[in-house]
Amino acid sequence: MSTHEQFADDLSLYALGVLPDQERLVLEQHLKDCSRCRQELEELRGGMGLLAFSISGAKPPVRARERLMAAIAKEPKTRPGRAVHRTPWWRPLEWAIAASAVVVVFMLASQNGELRRQLASLQFNMAKQQVKLEQAENFVASLTSPEAEHFTLIAAKTPPQPQGKVIYSQQQGTLVLLASNMPELPPEKTYELWLIPKSGAPIPAGLFKPDRHGSAVVAKPPLPTGTEAQTFAITVEPAAGSPAPTSKPIMVGEPG
Amino acid sequence: MRELYDRYSGIVYSVALRILGDTGTAEDILQDVFIKLWRSPHAFDGNRGSLAGWLAVIARNRAIDHIRQRRPETDVENLVIGIEPDMVQTADWNRALSKIRESLGSMPGIQRSAIEMAFFDGLTHTEIAEKTGERLGTIKTRIRTGLKALRKALTE
Repeated sequence: MSTHEQFADDLSLYALGVLPDQERLVLEQHLKDCSRCRQELEELRGGMGLLAFSISGAKPPVRARERLMAAIAKEPKTRPGRAVHRTPWWRPLEWAIAASAVVVVFMLASQNGELRRQLASLQFNMAKQQVKLEQAENFVASLTSPEAEHFTLIAAKTPPQPQGKVIYSQQQGTLVLLASNMPELPPEKTYELWLIPKSGAPIPAGLFKPDRHGSAVVAKPPLPTGTEAQTFAITVEPAAGSPAPTSKPIMVGEPG
Repeated sequence: MRELYDRYSGIVYSVALRILGDTGTAEDILQDVFIKLWRSPHAFDGNRGSLAGWLAVIARNRAIDHIRQRRPETDVENLVIGIEPDMVQTADWNRALSKIRESLGSMPGIQRSAIEMAFFDGLTHTEIAEKTGERLGTIKTRIRTGLKALRKALTE
């Protein structure tokens, strides 16, 4: 599953300031490490800016300009500190006290910083767990709903040992693939699952590599909701996956 | 600051007025945004976007904060707006504006109203879904693709 696709819709809600707190925390953590999503966010904000331009035309009253300039004139300016003359005999003592104070302040600040970091980390982990729990609950609910269809994939034109089972919910746009006896692939290749809709091009539905027993699971790849699946197929693709199949399917499946 | 005000006050005021529908409050937001720029001129990074877009988005966020009666949430230091300055130079302003309006006009009505409800009314995707009877996922996707389409219209 592509992490970027997973966050794609959340980014626009984040840009608009309407992403719920828990998801926001998870996304903000991801943004720290992901330049691609940061770039996407900038582009979405660019779209917001342009949307704002679309309604330009109103002129503020003249008094608004005067009011702003008056307010700016009252803004505080940096003032040079006044020189303070002190008697020289206790100057060394003053320096000693100042140095001690600096050490104490530094220690307190460092302890405080560490506590804050720990608290933020705990809060973040808690929010992340809660989001994961909710996602898992929704996932199980959608796959156990009466409308969820089951697909069994068998090997095409090869002995029938490799097998894949897809459970797909059209309404929720969620699926899980359970594959077994899958042949091992070279490192530069991966298996890719495709949702073949009733009309239109195949939709990527997740990349996977089998474990040493030949088993693999694809859970909840990002998919559009409401797509009616005609079938599912598996192809062998370059390690990064492909936006459209580049080889013939090695496995295909029908509902049932 | 006078020059910046003369150049960008119209866009800032227009956004605030469109969202708030009240000239007095829109004027307050206008004041707030330019004072913010005066106090933190380094918050805007000219290498990473257009000042007009930056001011417009800050004005929008401040106005929505006002409607929702919450304290300002936008961290202006981290707000990077992906509109290159050369996309909307003054000389090209009218052409850019007509491209933006054309892009909005070519969107399906349901998509356009979704992004307008999100941007100008500050509605969450859940609120929009309730209003329109659409699915949450559909609303999210419409908003995202709509915002991207606007930006794409200007880069083509």
